[in-house]
Amino acid sequence: MSATRRIRFTLNGQAAAAEIGTHETLVEVLRDRFALFGARESCSQGLCGCCTVLVDGHAVSGCLFLAAAADGVKIQTIEGLASGERLDPVQEAFLECGAFQCGFCTPGFILMTRQLLDENPAPSEDEIRHYLSGNLCRCGAYPEIIEAVKLASHKVKSRTPGGAAP
Amino acid sequence: MTPFDLVEPPSLGEALKLLEPDDSAVRPLAGGTALMLLMKSGFFRPKRLVSLRAAGERLARIRIEPNGELRIGAMVRLAALEWAPEVRRDFPVIGHTLRTLANVRVRNVATLGGHLAHADPHSDLPPVLIALGACLVLAGPRGERAVPVEGFATGHYETVCKGDELIVEATIPPLGRRRAAYAKCTTRSADDWPALGIAVAWDDDGAIRSPRIVLGAATERPTRLKAAEALIAGRTLDGALLTRAGEAAAEEADVVADARGSVSYKKQLVKVYVARALRAAGAGPAAP
Repeated sequence: MSATRRIRFTLNGQAAAAEIGTHETLVEVLRDRFALFGARESCSQGLCGCCTVLVDGHAVSGCLFLAAAADGVKIQTIEGLASGERLDPVQEAFLECGAFQCGFCTPGFILMTRQLLDENPAPSEDEIRHYLSGNLCRCGAYPEIIEAVKLASHKVKSRTPGGAAP
Repeated sequence: MTPFDLVEPPSLGEALKLLEPDDSAVRPLAGGTALMLLMKSGFFRPKRLVSLRAAGERLARIRIEPNGELRIGAMVRLAALEWAPEVRRDFPVIGHTLRTLANVRVRNVATLGGHLAHADPHSDLPPVLIALGACLVLAGPRGERAVPVEGFATGHYETVCKGDELIVEATIPPLGRRRAAYAKCTTRSADDWPALGIAVAWDDDGAIRSPRIVLGAATERPTRLKAAEALIAGRTLDGALLTRAGEAAAEEADVVADARGSVSYKKQLVKVYVARALRAAGAGPAAP
């Protein structure tokens, strides 16, 4: 049996390693070994998006992702999104729009928005709603979230060389 | 979940040797999105999972053959298929279907092979692949064999893939003059399993030739609606034909009730969605 193993990966830009059980999920390992609590297991079925992390730039449900499959990949969590004190434009936009109430779902929404804007810097409202349909906010902050994504899109464009002026 | 042995063979041949067809606690692992749910619920307690993550380049690639045939490796992630430029260009119905399959995070991890091997009857791609005449290449200890996607699933979570076989790739013939569309209905949240999905395709020479109308999700396995196919063959689409095709499809469809709708409700959905899918395929541009 090889029911435990050592995995090495890049975590928020830093080299990381952990001894894990083959049956452990990525969100369990991030919380238990690295004290990163931004990704939360909520529905446990990949439906709610609270456990979202980026694996090689792709959003995944950390609760449905075997930690063993993280060996050799780059992982980004909400904790690694800001550059020092400077927030990511998506984080700024969520704050400015008040796009949360309790904040439990917010890391997932922000990371999903980050991937959306990487793929599609100027999404329509329909595209935003469709893309975020796999994330649930039980406080019902959806109208503000949609506004925040639009604002983030504007901020990202204005920060990108050659992008539209703010 | 309980601990298990996790192996990552470096080739398809090694992977096949690590399977144990007589032990249901030994299973191949692709993206794992479906298997994880079964494991977390305690329904499935594996002894060994054979991860196909490193089992060779053939399982990981998407390519168009010189004759226009599309070959998709079993370990291609659904999101990679959704975004592949050659698929968007030559098989737009596939990207269109994937855009509404589960959610972004599932598509980022789930693979084509896992999607098909799991054989959940609510899956979106099997009806589309059947409408397009796709085949699967299965590898086993006695070599490889090709099986049509039509007939691959035999029931709920049951397929003709034997315990010592693995899906290697899917092959889809060139669209040519074929028109195709997929229409689905979710009755709860947008990213829920569908209550039904309808895939249609036909060769267009001014009239409808070799049509396929395939119903998924509402039936025990993806099913061709052959009476409706016969009704539209050789004809041109108009409002009356759409109505009659929908009625014929609803009449013949052996739908099952579940949490997403009763039989009579789903029969009504079949009637409406067959017409919608036919109209969508007829309105889109035929491939050159």
